[in-house]
Amino acid sequence: MRATPRVMTTRQTSAPSHHGHSKAQCIKVLRRLSAYLDEDLSVSICEEIRKHLGACPNCEVFVTSLRETISLCRCADIPSPSPSVKARIRREILKAVRYH
Amino acid sequence: MKNRTQSRRPRRQSLQADGDGAKAFDRLYRAHVDRIYRFAQRLCRRVEDAQDLVQDTFLNAYRGLGQFRGDAQVSTWLYRIATRASLRQRRKRKGEPDRELSLDEFIPTSDGEFRLQIPTDGLTPEEALESKELRRAVHQAIQKLPNKYRVVLVLRDMEELTAKEVGSIMGLNERAVKSRLHRARLFVRRELSARGIAESRPPANALQRG
Repeated sequence: MRATPRVMTTRQTSAPSHHGHSKAQCIKVLRRLSAYLDEDLSVSICEEIRKHLGACPNCEVFVTSLRETISLCRCADIPSPSPSVKARIRREILKAVRYH
Repeated sequence: MKNRTQSRRPRRQSLQADGDGAKAFDRLYRAHVDRIYRFAQRLCRRVEDAQDLVQDTFLNAYRGLGQFRGDAQVSTWLYRIATRASLRQRRKRKGEPDRELSLDEFIPTSDGEFRLQIPTDGLTPEEALESKELRRAVHQAIQKLPNKYRVVLVLRDMEELTAKEVGSIMGLNERAVKSRLHRARLFVRRELSARGIAESRPPANALQRG
């Protein structure tokens, strides 16, 4: 797996956004959002992120949409195979075992 | 709705010690076919491909019954076989390496990109997924992921395994699993956003929130 670059050269900017903080702060938060949602960060970093989310409407909307994405994946159900499909696959496997 | 009462972690068992191979295989097949079929459907575009994957998985499992020593969960062992078979199938079809997803490409450049919303219309995920269109959009978004990201997302967010278990199945450390998972989620978020869905079908303004 490629190492995550520490500096985002192409899009990062230190200019203040209209929410009173730099976009670099938003990017720092966005990079950690999955870990934040999975409760995989230390208490102090979680608190830092929560504070940022409270002050940044853009990141607040972003984290909501990411949370919804994860929930949709978790809840997307798949029907079980029918007994006839299961029986057919089993027959094919046993046939393949016999002929090899 | 997923059957949450179904046990995800059957007891460890020694398949080798069970004597007759065909009987051991039947027990294995009966206990795990639903789980592996579900996994295969999540990984594959078409039902036929999913059925082929189930068949390949259990055929390989049958042949490997003697080597399985019970030092891992049976389900983990089967997920590993299925994952390898799936990556093999995809590579054979596409014949090209997986695209890397860069974190950079998901960093919004405008307020509009920050504020992309998922068209759940304020409903719970279960209610929102009653929409056939949204169900299809979720499936399609996952299918668009490069293989190595899709497998991680399916195992972690859909099969609900831990990062450690996913790492053991894919031969990755936890850090790599989490890194791929984050990129995969960001990719699916973008695909599922009102904009992403709108790009793949005629406009349906009713689905978009203001």
